Amino acid sequence: MNIVQGRFSPSRKQKRAAFFFLLPSMVILILFVFWPILNSLWLSFHHWSLLDATHPYVGLDNYRKLVHDGRFWNAADKTLYFTLGSVPLGIVLSLGLALLANEPLRGMGAFKAVYFLPVLTSFAIISIIWSFLLDPDIGLLSYWFKELGLPSNDWLRSTTWAMPAVIMVAIWKNVGFNMVILLAGLQSISPSLYEAARMDGAGPLQRFWRITLPSLRQTLLFVVIISVIGSFQVFDQVYVMTRGGPLNSTETIVYYIYHQGFELLDMGYASAIAWMLFVVVLLITLLQLKLFRFNDID
Amino acid sequence: MASKPWIATSASLLAASLLLAACGGNGQNDQNSQSANSSQSQAPSGKSDDGKAVRLTFWNGFTGPDRPGYENLVKQFNDTHPNIQVTMDVSPWDTLLAKLPTSLATGQGPDIAAFDSSLITKYAKSQLILPLDDLYGNGIDPGIFPQPLANVMKYEGKFFGVPANNATLLLYYNKDLFKAAGLDPEKPPATWDEWIDAIEKTTKSDGSDKQYGIALADHATIAMWPILVWGNGGDFVSTDGKTATMTDPKTVEAIKRWSDLVVGKGASPTNLTGAEADKLFQSGKAAMEMNGPWATAGYTDAGLNYDVAPIPAGPAGEVTLASSAVLVAGKNTKHIDAVREFMQYWVSKDAQAQLSGETGFPPVRTDLGDDERLKQNPFVPKFAAESNNAKYYLPGLEQYDKIDADVIIPAIQAITNQKSSAEDALAQANKQLQDILDGND
Repeated sequence: MNIVQGRFSPSRKQKRAAFFFLLPSMVILILFVFWPILNSLWLSFHHWSLLDATHPYVGLDNYRKLVHDGRFWNAADKTLYFTLGSVPLGIVLSLGLALLANEPLRGMGAFKAVYFLPVLTSFAIISIIWSFLLDPDIGLLSYWFKELGLPSNDWLRSTTWAMPAVIMVAIWKNVGFNMVILLAGLQSISPSLYEAARMDGAGPLQRFWRITLPSLRQTLLFVVIISVIGSFQVFDQVYVMTRGGPLNSTETIVYYIYHQGFELLDMGYASAIAWMLFVVVLLITLLQLKLFRFNDID
Repeated sequence: MASKPWIATSASLLAASLLLAACGGNGQNDQNSQSANSSQSQAPSGKSDDGKAVRLTFWNGFTGPDRPGYENLVKQFNDTHPNIQVTMDVSPWDTLLAKLPTSLATGQGPDIAAFDSSLITKYAKSQLILPLDDLYGNGIDPGIFPQPLANVMKYEGKFFGVPANNATLLLYYNKDLFKAAGLDPEKPPATWDEWIDAIEKTTKSDGSDKQYGIALADHATIAMWPILVWGNGGDFVSTDGKTATMTDPKTVEAIKRWSDLVVGKGASPTNLTGAEADKLFQSGKAAMEMNGPWATAGYTDAGLNYDVAPIPAGPAGEVTLASSAVLVAGKNTKHIDAVREFMQYWVSKDAQAQLSGETGFPPVRTDLGDDERLKQNPFVPKFAAESNNAKYYLPGLEQYDKIDADVIIPAIQAITNQKSSAEDALAQANKQLQDILDGND
């Protein structure tokens, strides 16, 4: 009798079984996640070029260099641009789609499938396709723009428009994922709340602001945090679509880490940037948790 | 229900042990397991002392249309050398260059690798590749190579590489677009004045049918802007590799003149990659392009009406870019004799005549004369003829890739994107470059 008073208290045997069940994934996580993470902290205190035989300890030199590295701050700036451009708009759009998908209309299954399809496709492939579509000379999108008499531009070859194009593709790719999460949240709201509100004479807008949104707070928090973390770490579509260019106008922090670590082979400096990014993401996530909890109280 | 945890425990133990076994296996056979797309079936690296063939691994980035030429060469070597079996592992250059230093530094890596000659300094200085002076003293006469090519095989006076191929850049031009613009398609431009005139005449910057006079790539490409700088008598670094010369009046003048043409006249799109430039030329949206011998096959297949000509002579005379991939010996190879034999075979007369005929690259040797196999490809003599006017980009500089990616490309893009005047951008880049050359970066 393990289940007493609805609470599960595992026996020693079960604990041991659980341990062995968890062991394989723990081994993988330790070998391929935790150990490399700690190792990169070690690297960040060294001058660690992959080409050099010796890797002298340099203390905080890599971090000092980072503070004065204009290109790092440019990358931080572009990452912020990407996040502010993609997260709020992406979440508003996916909330809209989730509300639509929650309506008991015909063909909703197909509707959901269409919006979820990009989520299942790899970012590399999506990025290649969009690069073709956006090509200013032979791209389909540019052609349509021209045929319709709309002003077009150089998209990925323009220092002004490359980032908006990358943001647009990221939103298009992620909107389905967020939609599904938010939809699950919407469906867990008890219909009795809406019935009661209707009886009290609340209109659709009031129902949305007073019932839907507050009930979705936990789901929204999850979606916001996941999206923010994801966009701080954006890499794939930058790598495939623009390689950080033109003129570093789409070079995000993770792309800059890649450039330093795997193109210039300076693993020490790349690790220092990675740890800087980790600290920033951690702080922002804590801040978000705090903000949302604060709202919970009132 | 005591049996269930027991079963679970043993099951997970089994899973864990399988996993650990798999990890161990991967570590031991790293060299072999990475060659997912190798051209031959894999076998664990053999030993020569038990009478079996020596197995050599050969990492390279020959992913282009010239790939079959190299594969045939390796196959022929294997067929004629039963004691040595070479396995090619082909991956894109950037993937190759990201994994090569780590694997060599950790005691693994291939017996033979190919990469751009500009990387010899870095790898030789870090002692990741072996000197090949023995081979040059006994087997290969450096006199068979064009002098500039032999020079870039060296680091501090010692040979570290054997040329894997040898390319020069020529001016590709679209004959149909020349005709349409009232230019003589049989008389390509020979001087900068004629060239710029032809570019202006073939550029249509307004209207619905945009067309560019030239597709001038500035990043992720074989160097194109440097040819223009050299044509004007300028350069980026002094010949001894110690002083930055990006503020040299001739360098500044060249970059100003060509960026004015690109920005002011819309002669070429800005921020173009090499692949995008190729696409523009291949689709008839650009009338001219500077490119190497590897491009002919694709353009001919696409049915393009084009020809190639020497890069028009600038104020400082005729000049073009030389570029070559080199074969190097990984420092962990246990079969250096077999490696030497393979390299010697690679640059032999027969192998070079065949390779050149198949890939369209000029041979790495100057003594093949009128070998019939070279005439298989009508473009080969034209590319070969430019060898004497061809210069290497940033030769012998340890920080070659950093200088290119972080200094020169951003400077040119800052100018063509009108973020900065040519004088300012080049002055700033010059300072940055000098810091790198001085080792202060």
